[in-house]
Amino acid sequence: MAAWRLITTWAAAPDFNMGLDEALLATPGLPPTVRFYSWKPDTLSLGYFQKLADVPGHERASKLVRRITGGGAIHHVRELTFSISADLSLPLYANGVSESYARVHRAIARALAEFGVEARLRGADALRSDRPGSGMCFHHSTELDLVWDEMKGVGSAQRRKAGRVLHHGSIKLGSSALEGEIATLESRRRGLTPAAFAPALKQAFEAEFEVELEASVPEADERELAKELGPRYLDADFVRSR
Amino acid sequence: MRPDDRKYSPTHEWVKLEGDTALIGITDFAVQELSNGNTSDLVYCDLPEAGRMVKAGETFGEIESVKAVSDLNSPVTGEVVDVNHTIEEHLEILAKDPWNSGWMVKLKVSSKNLDGLMDAAAYEKHVAHSKH
Repeated sequence: MAAWRLITTWAAAPDFNMGLDEALLATPGLPPTVRFYSWKPDTLSLGYFQKLADVPGHERASKLVRRITGGGAIHHVRELTFSISADLSLPLYANGVSESYARVHRAIARALAEFGVEARLRGADALRSDRPGSGMCFHHSTELDLVWDEMKGVGSAQRRKAGRVLHHGSIKLGSSALEGEIATLESRRRGLTPAAFAPALKQAFEAEFEVELEASVPEADERELAKELGPRYLDADFVRSR
Repeated sequence: MRPDDRKYSPTHEWVKLEGDTALIGITDFAVQELSNGNTSDLVYCDLPEAGRMVKAGETFGEIESVKAVSDLNSPVTGEVVDVNHTIEEHLEILAKDPWNSGWMVKLKVSSKNLDGLMDAAAYEKHVAHSKH
């Protein structure tokens, strides 16, 4: 069975989180790498093409970054964030973006089921969490989104660059004032932490992708590149560039 | 069969030489990959301004679908002399006619050498492999 790396960094700084993800995307030939992480302080990330002005209330987040992945804004608080960086040639990415979403979402649904959540793909239904005009990822849904309680509970976005893919995912343990009523894991398990959810997600990824996730840390050159790339994400010119 | 009057890159761009200029766009496969057959899934395209120099393999723009942002890579080196900005407002053109009205940029090329790029037959095989 193939071995992928698993890098876990709880309560990490926003520039480190974004810089390391870009480093893992931008370096050709790296083995597939899954990251589990959370943010300190709480941070609002804009989608790559989003205008800051289109996200009213963004000033309520402690920090602002612009992601290199698409989609809407996410307030990273009370959530497990994950990323998968790998070559586009992997079976995980066969048959287009939608198929790869379906595979990742099947894995997440398997982990959620361990906590009593019956998640499904949204399909054609409208959701209670759909709120046009907020600019927030969790207030806009597509048929591929993973939902429970008639609301969206997982945010997903990808960046495809030079034969590699960065998949960003945000699994909501709880909500925030910016996100309001959305599907959360806390509705089933009060006080659940990212670290307590992570083992179920690891097992589900391993089973669904037929790989083994080996606990790992970033190599020295990856840390260096992350340090070099990270500051741009907090830079006001980049955050306000659209 | 895709048009055989042009060459194709592994990252699903096409290039068609016309004299010392090259038209560049993306293939039907690239559009399908991003949009899953639903043209409204394409939401944003950012193309360069005329005058910019791009090298072969370098990014000249970006395209966003509902679920992914992808780089647009130039298959050749040259100076951008014309840009099809209409696409930025009408992304559906890419699905309707990626080969003609869906062109993205025109480059004045420094070399007409397209070695290393694929012809239509080789690109068919590349796409078949991409689908696994």
